[in-house]
Amino acid sequence: MSDKSNKLPEELQLFTSAHVKYIQSLDTRKDEYDYWLTEHLRLNGLYWGLTALHILGHPEALPRAETIDFVLSCQHENGGFGAAPGHDAHMLSTVSAVQILALVDAFDDLESRGKGKAQVGKYIANLQNRQTGTFAGDEWGEEDTRFLYGAFNALSLLGLLDLVDVDKAVDHIVSCANFDGGYGSGPGAESHASQIFTCVGALTIAGRKDLIDTDRLGRWLSERQVAGGGLNGRPEKKEDVCYSWWVLSSLEMIGKTHWIDRDSLIAFILSCQDPDRGGLSDRPGNMVDVWHTVFSITGLSILGYPGLQPVDEVYCLPKSTIERVLGR
Amino acid sequence: MPPKGKAAPKPKASEAKATQPSSSKKQPAANTPPATIAELSQLRLDESRPFDAVRRKQGLSALSRDEQTTWYAARFARQPAHARNRVPIKTQRELWRQVNEASIGLRALRDHTTKWGLAASPVVTSGGDVGGLSIEAFGEWSERRLRLTALEVASRAFRERRERARRGETEGKDRVVVTETDVDDEKERRREMAEVRQKLYGVVTGRFALDPEWDDVVPIPHEEPDGALAVIAYPAEYAEAISYLRAVMASKEYSDRCLRLTETIIEMNPAHYTVWLYRAAIIQALKLSIPYEMEWLNKVALDNLKNYQIWHHRHLLVDSYYPTIAEDAEATKEFGAAEQAFLTRILAEDAKNYHVWSYRSYLVDKLGMWDDPGELAAVEDLIDADVRNNSAWSHRFFLVFSHPARSTPGVAATEPDPAAPSEIVDREVSYAKDKIVLAPQNQSPWNYLRGVLVKGGRKLAEAEEFSSQFVVGLGEGGGREEVTSTHALDLLAEIYAEKGDKERADLCLRRLGEKWDRIRVGYWEWRRKCLN
Repeated sequence: MSDKSNKLPEELQLFTSAHVKYIQSLDTRKDEYDYWLTEHLRLNGLYWGLTALHILGHPEALPRAETIDFVLSCQHENGGFGAAPGHDAHMLSTVSAVQILALVDAFDDLESRGKGKAQVGKYIANLQNRQTGTFAGDEWGEEDTRFLYGAFNALSLLGLLDLVDVDKAVDHIVSCANFDGGYGSGPGAESHASQIFTCVGALTIAGRKDLIDTDRLGRWLSERQVAGGGLNGRPEKKEDVCYSWWVLSSLEMIGKTHWIDRDSLIAFILSCQDPDRGGLSDRPGNMVDVWHTVFSITGLSILGYPGLQPVDEVYCLPKSTIERVLGR
Repeated sequence: MPPKGKAAPKPKASEAKATQPSSSKKQPAANTPPATIAELSQLRLDESRPFDAVRRKQGLSALSRDEQTTWYAARFARQPAHARNRVPIKTQRELWRQVNEASIGLRALRDHTTKWGLAASPVVTSGGDVGGLSIEAFGEWSERRLRLTALEVASRAFRERRERARRGETEGKDRVVVTETDVDDEKERRREMAEVRQKLYGVVTGRFALDPEWDDVVPIPHEEPDGALAVIAYPAEYAEAISYLRAVMASKEYSDRCLRLTETIIEMNPAHYTVWLYRAAIIQALKLSIPYEMEWLNKVALDNLKNYQIWHHRHLLVDSYYPTIAEDAEATKEFGAAEQAFLTRILAEDAKNYHVWSYRSYLVDKLGMWDDPGELAAVEDLIDADVRNNSAWSHRFFLVFSHPARSTPGVAATEPDPAAPSEIVDREVSYAKDKIVLAPQNQSPWNYLRGVLVKGGRKLAEAEEFSSQFVVGLGEGGGREEVTSTHALDLLAEIYAEKGDKERADLCLRRLGEKWDRIRVGYWEWRRKCLN
């Protein structure tokens, strides 16, 4: 596909510069209603935008120094990060903060100007429920495998996975497995592609992929592809471009990416672009946002779409970042 | 020539005309009445200082001899005594005579009286300069400012009275009290103040500033570090509510008004997770009725179907409430029924809502509703309504096979469980088959069927005859091959492999990859390889 890319018809092109401009414009849209409604996602949004830019090959498009300053300004005394300055610390924003700092190679700044890696590790470790092994999002106590995956992701990047009871957490994931091969947000919950990503990702980081019924799971994941080429998150639901990441990365982790049709999925993803505004939407013709943008682009990267940086299927960060941080 | 007479010069248009120096250049504005307040005050200033304006602009030489004298006389008259006494007495008398003849006023207006200043106001359009207002508009403006001042004075009086009441002071024999009428009057007063402020300055007064109940709280505004990368702009109403939230959370106040504050914020932004945490803390601290809170939560849930926080809040409420009714079987049953009723209602709006279903599985386990016939009936109703509802199928499997009396701890999800009763397995197989025929290409009941057979430790071949009805003429040419369910063909491939018939299994898989489910050819090819 690499040498055909110049001759691709318009509907199969990736409008890279439009997407870069779209991401760059995001923090200038302060007068938009949605902007303040989503302030509790601000740091997460920065991670999504920055990752997309790196995979698109434009890591310089957002200013590094200001990025680090902003991230550190969200940090609390307890080491955790809030979604925006003045927001309470939460697991999800803490994970995004660690991922961003890994992306821009700023762990040193975390040590010298922030509260340091150890404090972050302590914050995350304290959120583990030592009875059940799962993790809460914050002191409020909401538990979900998303937080478990996030904890493993951030702690392993910081080299502090030993702060938590990995075995108990693994046991918890096993209790979230379902008869159809998938995983839910908790025991008894329905199999869902994004929850599957979190469970499989966590098991991969813990080195326990042996516990996965990969044949069953792979089958269930391959069934996510609908006739139009797009992927859905559960049986009989509509396709959504962000599942290009959740499903594909899971398949990649269990080595079954070839169980979906690559070309029709690429065509679907590209049809979700907005060539004028930049960015991608959940389905063709809908409003774009940075969440769907990053997960489309990382999905394309897994599919080997030309011109994109390779993405790590476990961490949702560029492979180059993981090589640098984890030394592999 | 200045008019003779005793009266001080009056600012009449005709006189204004007369005081103009005859030798000065024609000034076009001289004959038109002043339009703005600045013009009016300038006019008054000039009238109180005859010829001063001309002298400044064009010098004394522009005035006639008589005019020069008048000018000097006026200036003389305003000097303090010690300065006047430097002039010889005879000259002084002469100058006083001039002053009387010309009826010059002893006081002149100062120059600053023409400077009206700036006001940030939508009313004042001339670059914010109040002087640019028309005389009529200025009148209105002044009136409003007076009104506002009067209201502010009364408002201050209210606050002082309230403070005195709080301190328990007395007026004569009676205690100082603040009645409900007083509070209502104050509310009305503040509403009017807000209205006047808006008209004068264009500022909008927030609802909390308008409410005397919140006077003792100093709101903590949002602070953004300079040059922040992702600066947040808030609509004023939301910003105000959040600033009050910060203040009461910092002071750890748990009260009724704080509860109402959380409700206000939740209405504006139900995804703000901190406010939910705080609300839960208030309910706990005040020991408020949880069933009552549930009713409120129901309304919020119906309005915000995609929200996570609502369901975790519900989770916390149940965790808090259940211990108080755990010993009472009747109360537990009643509570379970009330929850089921609401779940039915919300699932009617969004039958596959993930948060609702995952809450449901938590509830079943918490309240021990495994054998509740209403629970299974609810699932069946939903499957009847939409046989493709995968969430309902998933919950059914959980309800049937995770039942504590029928499941062995430690057995993996996709492995057989010896504790699963045979008649239950039969029943579920039968149920799945009944639903498959309604929509043979629907994946859920096929996953269910296979899952049940595996869980029950049965051979997949038990479903061979059933599956075969969906596959006709396999491998035969001439358009005789008909597959009404690819899932049936998939299961048949597994069944043939299980029986050792590799050839037939391979045929099924090949036809799936070639024709009936081409999009998954990668998977079907891998299955073919596995046969060998």
